[in-house]
Amino acid sequence: MPTDRTNQVLDEFSALTNAARRPDSPAQRVAIRSRFPVATLSGAGLVVAALAVAGILLGRPGATTTVGASPSSPATAAATASPSAAAVATVGPSQVPVVIATPVPTRTPTPTVGPCDVAVLSARITAWEGAAGNRIATVTLKNTGSTTCSLQSTDRPQLVDRAGTVLIDGAAPTSRAVIQLAAGAVVSTLVDASNGCGPNPVPPVHLTFVLADGRSFDAAPLSPTDATVPPCNSSPGTPGSIAMHPWSH
Amino acid sequence: MTTRVAINESVEIAYERAFEEHWTDVFRFALAWTNEWTAAEDLAQESFLRLWNQRGRLDWTRPVLPWLLVATRRLATDRFRALKRRLSAPTHAAAIDTDPALRARWLDVCAAMDELSSLERTALVMTALQGATYDEAADLLGTTAGALRAAVSRARAKLETA
Repeated sequence: MPTDRTNQVLDEFSALTNAARRPDSPAQRVAIRSRFPVATLSGAGLVVAALAVAGILLGRPGATTTVGASPSSPATAAATASPSAAAVATVGPSQVPVVIATPVPTRTPTPTVGPCDVAVLSARITAWEGAAGNRIATVTLKNTGSTTCSLQSTDRPQLVDRAGTVLIDGAAPTSRAVIQLAAGAVVSTLVDASNGCGPNPVPPVHLTFVLADGRSFDAAPLSPTDATVPPCNSSPGTPGSIAMHPWSH
Repeated sequence: MTTRVAINESVEIAYERAFEEHWTDVFRFALAWTNEWTAAEDLAQESFLRLWNQRGRLDWTRPVLPWLLVATRRLATDRFRALKRRLSAPTHAAAIDTDPALRARWLDVCAAMDELSSLERTALVMTALQGATYDEAADLLGTTAGALRAAVSRARAKLETA
């Protein structure tokens, strides 16, 4: 049986929820709302990016931070006198690397994980949802190859129609963080598009992800007839915006 | 055509009624699960949106509240949910943000409830406030009646020392 303190908390909880403001109308095609402050959003993004970088550092001993030197170069050889040095920092290509941390030495060379071949990346849009003038796509991506590869955590997203018209073009990402995709691994992201004030699209629309080196891969449309574009929130012809969250497992 | 219109109208009426009758229950459940006011509002809205999207496939002769609560729990544990919230823009301030007195009261309750796990909070609220039996609450929360009973017991013990 609840005692005084429990009753007190429960009574207050009940009173507060009974007094909670109900939306004016039932949810039908309502927006997904949020009141997270921008600072929180930025912080969340930084945390995701930091985790991605941490994952790379932990998962790729000695392979990430050597600048301007191939694995077999003298500079790297000097730095890896302990062959499994985990983190090798170099300020510039001509400077001597400094070993920051040296876990248990091993003679087993660590295989280098190369960038993903876009031909093995299979992506598709699994949902579109509305949110306060925006349209948010959920996108899944699978590494259909037989080896682990690396991919930039954020790419340049584009909303493209069947005719190849880029309806909304995103900006190149500023982050250089990468994510590793094991063979068969599936990751996902959310792409947020707004202000679709361009021409009517030729369905279906899909998303294209442009990598820093210019290669790109497409996310298949939600359906063969999908013509989702965000609503136009300004005058016709004004550019829209589109951004993505980092790929995450 | 006339029949289809009539069916659609009756479904819409049933949906409106469900919203009127159960919004507070769904919000309270979501608040118990998350202990976060704005997230609970979002969850309640999304649950009703899901109900709307599924309206054509539901048996409206059955109670709809259990369906809503299960949907809310699933939404709350959706691993994409946090990302979705962070991507979307704010559209209005919640009452809890604009009413200092209400906010102060909520912060007190929130602090006490924060000592409990989601399961403990929700189990306690469902059985003590919403009148659910242990079996009913266990079904909705995807656990056993024994585990739920233990969760309620732990919740009470923690609140006493909170």
